[in-house]
Amino acid sequence: MNEKGSNGLAIETSGLVKRYNEEVLAVDGIDLAIEGNTIYSLLGPNGAGKTTMLAMLTTLLEPTEGSAKVCGLDVMQQANEVRNCIGVTFQETVLDDALTGRQALDFHGKLYNQSKAQRQAKIAELLALVELDEAADRKIKTYSGGMKRRLELIRGLMTEPDVLFLDEPTLGLDPQSRVRLGDYILDLKENQGLTLLLTTHYMDEAQLLSDKVGIIDHGKIVAEGTPAELIEQMGADVIHIEGQGENESFVEALEAMPFTEAISASDDMIQVGVDSGNRRLVEVISAAGEHGYRIEDVSVSKPSLGDVFLKYTGRQFRD
Amino acid sequence: MSAALTLWNKHMRKTLTSPDETVGMLIQPILWVVLFGIGMGSLLGATTPGGEDFYITFMLPGIIALTALGGAIGGGTEWLNERIQGIVKEYLAAPIPRMSILLGNAFSAMTKSLLQAIVIMIVGVLIGAKLSANPLGWLGGLLLVAGYGLGFSGIAIAVASKTDSPGGYHMLIFMLNLPLLFLSNALYPLQTMPTWMEIAARINPTTYVVTGMRIMTFGPNNALGTVDTIPLWLCFLVVAVFLTLSMVLGYRAFKSSLK
Repeated sequence: MNEKGSNGLAIETSGLVKRYNEEVLAVDGIDLAIEGNTIYSLLGPNGAGKTTMLAMLTTLLEPTEGSAKVCGLDVMQQANEVRNCIGVTFQETVLDDALTGRQALDFHGKLYNQSKAQRQAKIAELLALVELDEAADRKIKTYSGGMKRRLELIRGLMTEPDVLFLDEPTLGLDPQSRVRLGDYILDLKENQGLTLLLTTHYMDEAQLLSDKVGIIDHGKIVAEGTPAELIEQMGADVIHIEGQGENESFVEALEAMPFTEAISASDDMIQVGVDSGNRRLVEVISAAGEHGYRIEDVSVSKPSLGDVFLKYTGRQFRD
Repeated sequence: MSAALTLWNKHMRKTLTSPDETVGMLIQPILWVVLFGIGMGSLLGATTPGGEDFYITFMLPGIIALTALGGAIGGGTEWLNERIQGIVKEYLAAPIPRMSILLGNAFSAMTKSLLQAIVIMIVGVLIGAKLSANPLGWLGGLLLVAGYGLGFSGIAIAVASKTDSPGGYHMLIFMLNLPLLFLSNALYPLQTMPTWMEIAARINPTTYVVTGMRIMTFGPNNALGTVDTIPLWLCFLVVAVFLTLSMVLGYRAFKSSLK
């Protein structure tokens, strides 16, 4: 059921650039190759270019340079064909809350020229899928945040897309709703053959759901791979050190040690991957003493995608 | 075209299923007709025998034009809200022509205005206005109102595309709204105006929709109407040109807001 390019890719971009008002470079030459029937997560701090990337792939924004194909179709030359093959859930809640849930879905199906019978069947099926059948005839303004999110997700599925784009699908949801939404997302890939591109801030979620992850910062992909590959780069364990003082010579010393990998440092925190946390902890701490760095807290953990994310994007606040 | 119809349907349903909006839509023009019509009518009636009914007949086209203007403004507000809330993204990601988004909005505003116009005509007749005996004249009048309302939808959508704040939108629209009503022959005849005002009224499309309605819808024997010697063909021409220009304006601003 998947429509793909001749090379089997559901999403493909090359040298994709978006510049706003000649100055702001939101997306700075991104190449993506996402295979059909996989889940790909774009991770990045706020303002990294994730939403702009999605806007271009979903034909809302025209790229400044480069090219992009979705379902093997060019987003500029074949925009309408692309629109027919994708579903989208936007970062902000985009629902007309004067409508009922059922009306919102029905309206959406009409926009895509679905017949009445098609719409009714699909609406019943999807409402049941996310357990919104009882609330379907209430106005959306009475829905909770989680219900709105679920409604938006199934709205994206109304037209049986081959590729589904989800921009921060679980933002602002309670843990229960996040887990359930995650289950739906996995089910879409495994049982319905969809390709999903999602952005998220939740690293645990990305680690759990994704076949492949791309970390994006300042409009560029800075790391890409399966979650396992990315985490492997971090070494077997990660030592997190918080402290004060000049860390420059300490970091140099750490770099010189044969067993360290993937060191990242900011003013008050240093993160270092090592081959064995418990064995190397003493050596790391004594090196700190030698170089005049005062440790306030230290911990050892198995590396996670979150550590990878911090390594590539740093720890400063972003806006 | 089916996408425009779908959007029209959504806007209409939203209004008609909201009691506040529906009631407001009907009450406001009725208040205008009843309060202003009877007040001004009595003033004229005190000096001229039969002046009351005569003034109500005279002012109804103006109230209908004003209501069409209000409908277009409401359509612009809707478009601005959809932009601010991001609802427009749902339309933009769908395989529909961009033009249909604008048409769905403008035609739903126009439909509401026509419903209001009919209500105004009925209420007007109930309190003494004289309608033309020819139903074709009623349709002709409604046709002019439709063109005028669609034209203002173009302008309202243009303004709503250029601003991102409801305050800014209403400020700009307010500055258009009142002069369009008062600098026209909607409430008083051209003959009694100072020259500068008459010139302003003669370049105001409101004057032409009002005059056209006076000739066709409210009968040819409308004394104050006949003194404004504007031929009917000119009324249609002005409204058609106005409609075309403002639709082009609206579509351009609308397109640029999607970038």
